Amino acid sequence: MSDITIKMTGISKVFETEDIETHALKSIDLEIKAGEYVSISGPSGCGKSTLLALLGLLDMPSGGEYYIEGMNVTDLSLDQAAEIRNTKIGFIFQSFNLIDELSVFDNVALPLRYQDKPPSDSELKQRVQECLALVDMTHRMAHKPNQLSGGQQQRVAIARALVANPAILLVDEPTGNLDSKSGDQVMHVLEKLNEQGTTICMVTHDPRYADMAKKQLKLLDGAILTTPKIKAVL
Amino acid sequence: MKQIIYQSKQAWASLSKKPGFIATVITTMGVTLGALLCVLTLGYLLLVKPLPYPEHEKLYKVEHIFHDSKDKIQGTAFTYPGLIHLYKNQDVFSKSALIYYGQDVLTNLPSSPRLETGYVTPEWFELLDANMVLGRQFEQSETLNTNNPVAIISHQLWQQTFDGDPNILDKKVDFRGVSFNIVGVLDKSFIEPQIANVGQNTSVWFPFDYNQGKRFEDAWGNILGALTFVGKKNTEFTDSQAAQTLTALVNDKWQQEVAGSAFFAGWRVNMVLTSFHDEILGDSGNTVYLLLAGVLGLVLIATANIANLLMSRTAEQQRQLAIFAALGAKQSQLFKTLLAETGVLMGLSVLFALIIAMSGFYIMQTYLASVLPRVDELAINVVTLTAAVLFALLFALLFAGLSRRIINYKALNSMLQSSGKGTSIQVSKKTRQLLIVSQVAIATVLVFANISLFKEAYNTITETKSYKVEDKLELSVSLSAATRPPREEIISFNNELKEKLAQLPQVESVSLSSSVLRDYSLWALTSTTDDSRHVIYNKDIDDIYFDMLGMELIEGDNFSQADIQDRPRKLIVNDVFAKQLNPSGSAVGMELSNNPEQPSFTIVGVVKGIKLPGQTDIPARVYGPTSRDDNDFTLNLLPGQRLSRDQAASIIKEVSNLYTLFRLEYFEEIEQEQLFTQYAIAVTTAALAVLTFFLAGVGLYGILSYGTHMRRFELGTRMAIGAKRKHLVGLIIKDNVSVVIMGVAASIVILTAIYLAYDELFMTYLASNIVTMFMVTVVAITGLSLFACYWPLRQFINQPAIHSLRNSD
Repeated sequence: MSDITIKMTGISKVFETEDIETHALKSIDLEIKAGEYVSISGPSGCGKSTLLALLGLLDMPSGGEYYIEGMNVTDLSLDQAAEIRNTKIGFIFQSFNLIDELSVFDNVALPLRYQDKPPSDSELKQRVQECLALVDMTHRMAHKPNQLSGGQQQRVAIARALVANPAILLVDEPTGNLDSKSGDQVMHVLEKLNEQGTTICMVTHDPRYADMAKKQLKLLDGAILTTPKIKAVL
Repeated sequence: MKQIIYQSKQAWASLSKKPGFIATVITTMGVTLGALLCVLTLGYLLLVKPLPYPEHEKLYKVEHIFHDSKDKIQGTAFTYPGLIHLYKNQDVFSKSALIYYGQDVLTNLPSSPRLETGYVTPEWFELLDANMVLGRQFEQSETLNTNNPVAIISHQLWQQTFDGDPNILDKKVDFRGVSFNIVGVLDKSFIEPQIANVGQNTSVWFPFDYNQGKRFEDAWGNILGALTFVGKKNTEFTDSQAAQTLTALVNDKWQQEVAGSAFFAGWRVNMVLTSFHDEILGDSGNTVYLLLAGVLGLVLIATANIANLLMSRTAEQQRQLAIFAALGAKQSQLFKTLLAETGVLMGLSVLFALIIAMSGFYIMQTYLASVLPRVDELAINVVTLTAAVLFALLFALLFAGLSRRIINYKALNSMLQSSGKGTSIQVSKKTRQLLIVSQVAIATVLVFANISLFKEAYNTITETKSYKVEDKLELSVSLSAATRPPREEIISFNNELKEKLAQLPQVESVSLSSSVLRDYSLWALTSTTDDSRHVIYNKDIDDIYFDMLGMELIEGDNFSQADIQDRPRKLIVNDVFAKQLNPSGSAVGMELSNNPEQPSFTIVGVVKGIKLPGQTDIPARVYGPTSRDDNDFTLNLLPGQRLSRDQAASIIKEVSNLYTLFRLEYFEEIEQEQLFTQYAIAVTTAALAVLTFFLAGVGLYGILSYGTHMRRFELGTRMAIGAKRKHLVGLIIKDNVSVVIMGVAASIVILTAIYLAYDELFMTYLASNIVTMFMVTVVAITGLSLFACYWPLRQFINQPAIHSLRNSD
């Protein structure tokens, strides 16, 4: 397997309404290697969310090419994109996006149930428990999301993102809806996961958290400003 | 008042921004309430409103019923002399009248129209208190045995055929060679009591003396269905006392008169009194209840649909309502705001409903006058208007109340502060589920009932016939002379006419027989083998009749040409009668007698029985060789050919001026008339089934669409973590299938309850294939529900996931 997890070349996104064309992204080149922790930051409206949506195959680019682990995913059908999201991408949203009717366990198990060949019940249970253990939430397995604090909900969301062993975690303002203490805890979990080898790409406008990433991209008006080289740590 | 006008204006201003919404509400509620108003008005007319005759509760029709020695009913009709005996000698009725219903050709008009006619004694119009627009009613100088040639015409005939001629009383009308002076024109307000047939619309009335049954005035052994007796009962008699008295009067006389007849040995006459109310309305009450049930079901579905729409709208209006609350509107004021909207909507709906109801009246008057009594009297009346106003108020309050229920007044204030996050009001899942259950249950019951009725009617209409109707035409002529020519002259006229008709290029063959579809007479026959007595349907035919109609002779011989000439005492019976006569062997060779003083008839052949349109079984029939002096013909045209009324009329005139064309009708038309009830049922039930299905579809779509919109964000999230389309379709179906099953279960409960309460009605209307029909219904409704699950979902699952996630956070 290539050590390049994500590769985008010349990716653009144009939103068209009746009389206005908005160029949300202009020729983005981006490479994320396995095990990297990348942050994307920039002012409001710079295209962060659009880029994350394209990275997560939630939306289709208007131009350019996109590879995940060497596979061309530029032009997939909706169901093919769903399958790639299911197996290769883990999402963490600002508003957690847990499903209220499902227990913590079932929320975390959901991506596995959507797989073409869902694991057996025992495998599923084991995997869900492993992931909840990683975020220290095993004791809340039977709870419903609305019985948890914001920080706890986000940790469950992280467990859900990890459950299918994705190639990359895409993280959208993970602390946006949290108080600073909970936010710090979540960031700590992410950091720990990265240390254990998880590739992470995080969108944030908070410079403090952006700095925690080892590679920082800045977006302005739909283009990446600089791609600073990672400084060698002495 | 000012406040109400202000709020109504505000409501209209707010609503007018959503024309599609207004159109949906007004169409749905307007159509269904219109149907309800229509049926309610009909119900009022048939069940509540008094008949338009003075002392109508004292008016009775008397029936003359023959029971044979085994007490089986052999006929319900008067003998001519029996009727006259009753009229002259009874004291049960303070006033009584005789009527003979017929059809005759008006010969002194170029168009020679065939009209419905009535021959009455003068009391008829007195009993009905008929108003005349011109002239007078019949007088005592026109009573029995006065032979005074006068006529009274209907308002409709006066207007349509005589263009409302003000000098009509100077005119004459010619029928059967007699010129009648017009002495009166009935007022428009006169409503003929439909005691003979539903939809009876008599155009010309004559004194009783001129009726066509008069040649039977001494025949105590013949009955005539056209003879009718009505009267105003004296109050001292109860119904059963009256019947007993009349039975004694008529039966005693009849027994005396037929004392010598072996055939009638052991027979008796029973007189039955039926009030005008029961006679005219019959079992139309059942029809009203069935229609009412059907329409109420539709209204319930429509109500559920609109409730859902209005509640969704209230959910959308939450911000506006919150602002009202912030400005100090109390709960009651918010309710008034909602009520103003629902009031405007329901007011408009009811106006539309009144238009629909009027269209319904028109449709019923035009197409259902022969099925439903009193439809002529249908019009918007006080009952309709009161019901309309009540409906408007009731539904406005109901919908406003339902909308208010979903507003949490306390949460409205906090909503503004939190910019709408977390406190949005919505139609609760429970309410939505209840709406789905009710939609599915009502729709299942209605669709099941309608398609079952449709299937029954359709089966009757499409039943395979064992005779041919294509390209067959009935032609009959009537005499336009006052006296009947000698038999030989009639035969010679018939032969000449037959020949001329056969020479027409479009005609293949002509039979001197009346239509296979009607005009059977009843004949009393005794088997010489075992003295068994039979009252049998009879038709006189010629040698080509069976062949022309494709009727299969299954045993013995057909009549020969010589048989038609010589008229030997031969009969052909159908297989049903053959079986009755000789259950184990052949009926050919058996002998039947209708008069012990004359030689008996020999059965020479057996023909396969035929079931006429709309009949449920095949009656026993007997065919004899034609006397050749009946003026009825059956024409077999070449495929696709037609014969016009004018052409037929001119050929008749070429042969003789003594005759007029009476009837020219294609068998297919007669068949359609006979199947009218089935056609009416088929069309009505199909329309109701489609309408129900459509309304239920719209309703289920509305509810499920709202539910799916509410879950948009969740669906987006599921897509983001890898759910494919099939997973989401499956999810929505799984979430709703239990509710649909509950709806179907509820429909089974409702149907079982109806069955337990009205099992006879149920079995009459829904006799065959109940299980299959129910399965078809359930599959259709389930299919509809699945479609309603999928359709709102497609806008989310057929687009990239970001569309569902965007703007919903």
